[in-house]
Amino acid sequence: MTATLEMRDFAHRLLIYEAGAGKASEPMDSPTLRVYEKMRQSLNEFVGVAGFLSLATRALALAKREAPSLGTARITADGTLQGLGELEPQLDIDRERAVEYPSSEGGVILIARILGLLRLFLGEALTLSLLRNAWPGEVFDDRSSANGRKA
Amino acid sequence: MSTRDKVAIHQLPTGVPGLDEIVGGGLPEYSFNIIAGEPGSGKTTLAHQFVFANATPERPALYFTVLGESSIKMLRYQQQYTFFDPAKLPGSIRFINLSQVVLENDLGAVLEQITKEVEKASPAVVVVDSFRTMVRKPQSDMDLQSFIQRLALFLASWQATTFLIGEYAEDELRDNPIFTVADGLIWLRQTAERNSIVRKLQIIKLRGQNSVPGLHTFRITNAGVQAFSRTFGLIGHLKDPPSHRRLSFGIPELDTMLGGGVREGDSVLIAGSSGTGKSVLATQFIAEGIRQREPGIVAVFEERPQAYAERATSLGLDLETPQNDGKLEILYLRPLDLSVDETMHSILDAVQRIGAKRLVIDSLAGFEMALSPGFRADFRESLYRMIFALTGIGVTILSTVEVDESFTEFPFSTYSISFLTDDIIRLRYVSIEGQLRKIMVVIKMRGGNHAKDVREYEITSKGVVILGKRLTNYQGLISGIPVRTDRPDSTEEPSQDTGIEHKT
Repeated sequence: MTATLEMRDFAHRLLIYEAGAGKASEPMDSPTLRVYEKMRQSLNEFVGVAGFLSLATRALALAKREAPSLGTARITADGTLQGLGELEPQLDIDRERAVEYPSSEGGVILIARILGLLRLFLGEALTLSLLRNAWPGEVFDDRSSANGRKA
Repeated sequence: MSTRDKVAIHQLPTGVPGLDEIVGGGLPEYSFNIIAGEPGSGKTTLAHQFVFANATPERPALYFTVLGESSIKMLRYQQQYTFFDPAKLPGSIRFINLSQVVLENDLGAVLEQITKEVEKASPAVVVVDSFRTMVRKPQSDMDLQSFIQRLALFLASWQATTFLIGEYAEDELRDNPIFTVADGLIWLRQTAERNSIVRKLQIIKLRGQNSVPGLHTFRITNAGVQAFSRTFGLIGHLKDPPSHRRLSFGIPELDTMLGGGVREGDSVLIAGSSGTGKSVLATQFIAEGIRQREPGIVAVFEERPQAYAERATSLGLDLETPQNDGKLEILYLRPLDLSVDETMHSILDAVQRIGAKRLVIDSLAGFEMALSPGFRADFRESLYRMIFALTGIGVTILSTVEVDESFTEFPFSTYSISFLTDDIIRLRYVSIEGQLRKIMVVIKMRGGNHAKDVREYEITSKGVVILGKRLTNYQGLISGIPVRTDRPDSTEEPSQDTGIEHKT
């Protein structure tokens, strides 16, 4: 079973938002890492470090089956994501290109898997409510993706 | 500002149907409460209901989860309840997981973390769930007591109404410093009795206001916890002024036997064996009420409402039209595992919904059988409370009860509930001239005159029809096997009792 198109669309939108969110003068982490970190910090409060760790570990395991390029990625004991760097575009070099292609396929799938697990356990409404702390409303309000699917 | 002014304690709605009545109007604002009980008793659900009922973006709720049920699973299940509004997260309600702090640090660090979050959010409501898991870690008594007192003091100062949720057994109630500090202690119990689960809650302690004492039934449905007060929510309802009005059965001869009809606000019992026409009389009573513009409720347990209405139609009584007009409700109450208080609340809700003046319970035996076995022991006591509550607001209640027909005895009720009734009408078979005929007699009318006559009646297409005058040419009618005497049938008017209450 692969990450659903809905979740991939939603993940893609979060990644696009993060790719364009940083100040141009500052170097930034990859959008995948930024999205992941925001989720981690937002959800840590709610589920605790151990809760997020188990969720992220499961999501990464699922994502690796779809994207072998994630093979080097791992979740540390405090829930942070490591080993993703070489897969992501160098955003501090070409920010415009980053918005167009914000993340590797593996990054999209990993974020989609986390979102998918949250939706599976909590439902869409509650998942979106919990993520509203981390992202502005327009990311959630404009739910239609470029190809017309709903996240 | 006056030196004589007392502080007014604002009460917060609990969000739990029926619980406000039990706690005396709502929970005191800024109070420090404990919700205790065994696993699965509904503690977390009750706390969620309070949180969702009171949290606002301006005065949010902080819900601290500790060890035990994971937050994700908790919300996965809690969102199934109808009170759960996802839009309230995270603006009005924030869930904060403290498990890491609890695992890695002492109670001081936990207090520090709670303090930090409370100072940041200035919440109206704080919940710590489950508080018990936090204090199971080895701590000295002094540590725990100090922690509780500091937490209670801090949260009250920050104007938060607080709930600590804990899994406690009843024998832990004594000498526990947590319970000493708490302003309110809500205890939830669930016990298995035969094949049924019986849930009860008790307000063991609530400072500053009067709660309804005793054990109250509660149920957990898709709407969350619903409590059923032992007072049926009728506290504060003033008793209607004593009424001298008499309510008619629509059977003139019976009304005469009753001294003009049933006194308004009385509880009437019709007792008789199977086929003596108890339900027919009850139907005539309710139909006459409709005719007199007195809305009515019929609670049936032994047949479905449609069948009940069709049988009334066969007697020339229209129960369909008043149902459509909202003047009559026929309640069919036969779900398994029903508690007596829930059943009675269904009846009370209907009474209040249509402003019923007459209530028929047909029959008490069916009512008892519809209850969960665990609640049958409480049947008489609960029935007493309901009758007292309803007649207190002017509703006239007619109950039917089947009694074993005996040709040597004349029991009023196998349920020993005669004391619950103001008036008793007894129906029975008698063997006369090779026929099984029916007689009725008014046994008791509390505070009123009634006929002493034994009258023969028949059940016809027009319902119960009382025949002729009183039967004076038989002796031993109430034994069921009368002996004919030489006296002719009476031509006298019905003789009235002196009004002195019969001892039953």
